[in-house]
Amino acid sequence: MQLTYLEAIRQGIWEEMEHDPTVFCLGEDIGIYGGAFKVTDGFIDRFGPERVIDTPIAESAIVGAAFGASLTGMRPVAEFQFMDFIPCAMNQISNMVAKTHYLWGAPAPLVLRGPSGGYVHGGPFHSQNPEMWFVHNPGLKVICPATPYDAKGLIKAAIRDNNPCLFFEHKYLYRRIKGEVPAEDYVVPIGKARIAREGRDLSVITYAAMVHSALEAADMLAKESIDVEVLDLRTVSPLDREAIAQTVKKTNRVIILHEHSRTGGLAGEIAAIINEEVFDDLDGPIVRITGLDSAIPFSPPQEEHYLPKVSDIVREARRLKAY
Amino acid sequence: MANKRTKSKANSNGNRPRNGVRAITAHGAADAIVRRAGSPKRTGEGVRPSAANTDLRTYSIPDYRLEHPNFTVHQSVEKDKAGAEHVHYEVEGDLDAPVPPIRDSKYLSKQQAIEIYRYMLLNRKMETALENLYKQGKVVGGVYFGLGQEACSCASAYALDKDDWFAPMIRNQGSLLVRGFRASDTMMQYMAKAGSPTKGRDGTSHFGDIEKRNMVSPISMLGDLIPVMSGVALGARLQGRNIAVMTWIGDGGQSTGVTYEGINFAAVQNLGLVLVIESNEWAYSTPSEMQYRCKDLAERAIGYGIPGVIIDGTDACQVYDAAYEAVERAHRGEGPTMIEAKMMRMKGHAIHDAAAYVPKALFDFWKKRDPIARFENYLVREKKWLTGQENGELISEVERVIEEEREIAVNSPMPTPESAEGGVSCEDGCHVIKPKYGMPKVKKGTSRYKETEAAVHLK
Repeated sequence: MQLTYLEAIRQGIWEEMEHDPTVFCLGEDIGIYGGAFKVTDGFIDRFGPERVIDTPIAESAIVGAAFGASLTGMRPVAEFQFMDFIPCAMNQISNMVAKTHYLWGAPAPLVLRGPSGGYVHGGPFHSQNPEMWFVHNPGLKVICPATPYDAKGLIKAAIRDNNPCLFFEHKYLYRRIKGEVPAEDYVVPIGKARIAREGRDLSVITYAAMVHSALEAADMLAKESIDVEVLDLRTVSPLDREAIAQTVKKTNRVIILHEHSRTGGLAGEIAAIINEEVFDDLDGPIVRITGLDSAIPFSPPQEEHYLPKVSDIVREARRLKAY
Repeated sequence: MANKRTKSKANSNGNRPRNGVRAITAHGAADAIVRRAGSPKRTGEGVRPSAANTDLRTYSIPDYRLEHPNFTVHQSVEKDKAGAEHVHYEVEGDLDAPVPPIRDSKYLSKQQAIEIYRYMLLNRKMETALENLYKQGKVVGGVYFGLGQEACSCASAYALDKDDWFAPMIRNQGSLLVRGFRASDTMMQYMAKAGSPTKGRDGTSHFGDIEKRNMVSPISMLGDLIPVMSGVALGARLQGRNIAVMTWIGDGGQSTGVTYEGINFAAVQNLGLVLVIESNEWAYSTPSEMQYRCKDLAERAIGYGIPGVIIDGTDACQVYDAAYEAVERAHRGEGPTMIEAKMMRMKGHAIHDAAAYVPKALFDFWKKRDPIARFENYLVREKKWLTGQENGELISEVERVIEEEREIAVNSPMPTPESAEGGVSCEDGCHVIKPKYGMPKVKKGTSRYKETEAAVHLK
């Protein structure tokens, strides 16, 4: 069936709640209102207020309570109304949840999910991509799906995982893309990238909404006989080092593309992995296309300037191909 | 009278008097922890009463103490011989009051009282052993003490049932002993040994056990355990059990925002949180006068809409009774309780800190209220539940246990360097996750899945 990205996530959580009585949801306005983006629309009618809990506006309490419940063997799915608010719970996530298994051997099977990302003119507090804070935080899995198929398969995998999983839903994709999602139960493995488009000339390594920008650029570049491979990471922690190495070995040229700020961003980490794994295979410099080193601005012309564009990818690909 | 008049530093926060009137001593108010008087009387359907004060709500916080220490700590400026000014803390108030008696417990049997006393002795002697290990250079880092707070740590944890959970803070090392951990566990943590519960990965009482002893590991940040423990109670409730979840927080720690979030979450969800606020006068070097403005922290319970109670934290019977009632409320599904235990941290923040900033008169006042000496006097001389000889034997037995535990801890090897690796994630079936109290019984509504048609929030 064809589902929107949002519906795929919603269906994934719904199915897990149907199958597993230990799964429950908590967050702000997720009950009768169904969540700010309606990901949990209708859940309270089906699963009841005991399993679909509206919380106070208190992100540390939401994460803390989800963590505590997970210690009793529950599988909580906590919603952040926007992932921009996740630093409100930073200590719980970083010092409490992430370190638990390493320090005292307690598994914390919880999911922290919510909308992130730009291109919607949400402004500096409703458009951020804060995933890197958690990539640099051992003990957490960080998932950023790009398609309805992956979104459903990965949210189910995250709920079934025995570790704390942060699930970044790209709000630009919520209702803008539809994709084929099978009716039967499936999961997409966490930590495995996928080739979104095969190509020979150069690789674009990216994830989430930027996968679609890369594919659009690849179509344009194909007319110029530049054959672009697009690697969709799907999970940014743990990174699929093997898939990154493989695509570089194949095309020898690589662009790394992400929305968040450049300095200390994921591109730097991936460049380091390429350096460690396949340095000899490179035929040109590793190119970064990223957001600017500032907060993400509100006004549409400014936001457009801040974020990577299809034209940026086309320009950089031409430059790299000619290198 | 040590009633000192001192020159105040005008802008010091520490000089603010506490607002409100003196807490009402409500010895008989055990069953009505929060009282509401003058609730709105309906004069007709949907009509608000016009008489003044009908919406006025008055509350009282029961105070089980048999004395109400009356002094304040504030900053003052003193000149040295060279005329240079120095700021230090002064205490002002009645510091010569006689030591009150122990309040008879409503619930404790003779045997239970003696058992709590034994745990308090174990607590203190374990920490004395740790101090010696530190002086011998065997401890990595510092040592934290609960000196003067043993009644608060031990008698409160003693009120928990087997299926209840707890999460100690740094001064509650006694609670670990009550819940079945060995003194060597904590000692090995301090010595960073391979045999420690965290296998050397963390120190102090930072460890947990979700399998047998239902303990959540503390982290160094204050207040974060409160929402976590609320979540433990939530998880248990989803599995059909009302359990009590106990944690502690200091008068300093309660200043954090997550403390508010956690208590409020427990309150709105009616979860069985038993929060013991250890009002021990000092948060590292900062007196409670500079942490909060209200007279008693238990008053904050009113703001959360939950019961609050004040007890003497150096009286094991008061601690147990308040904890017991809070645990029983939790088991009945009646929600959280805040217990404020008043006492004094009788050492510095940790072993490196000589606490020279604490006015000596304050130490002298609380030294007379040593929880172990008071309880010993109560059991041996007042109740005559222990003879002098039995008490001597008990103390010797505890000392012997601690010596054995010390030997075990000292003889545990250090971890290998490589043991720093691994275990970051739960992979390859290292744990099987299953609900602790049984699979939740779910009731599902009749509505079926259908695609949402809701509008887009941001276009």
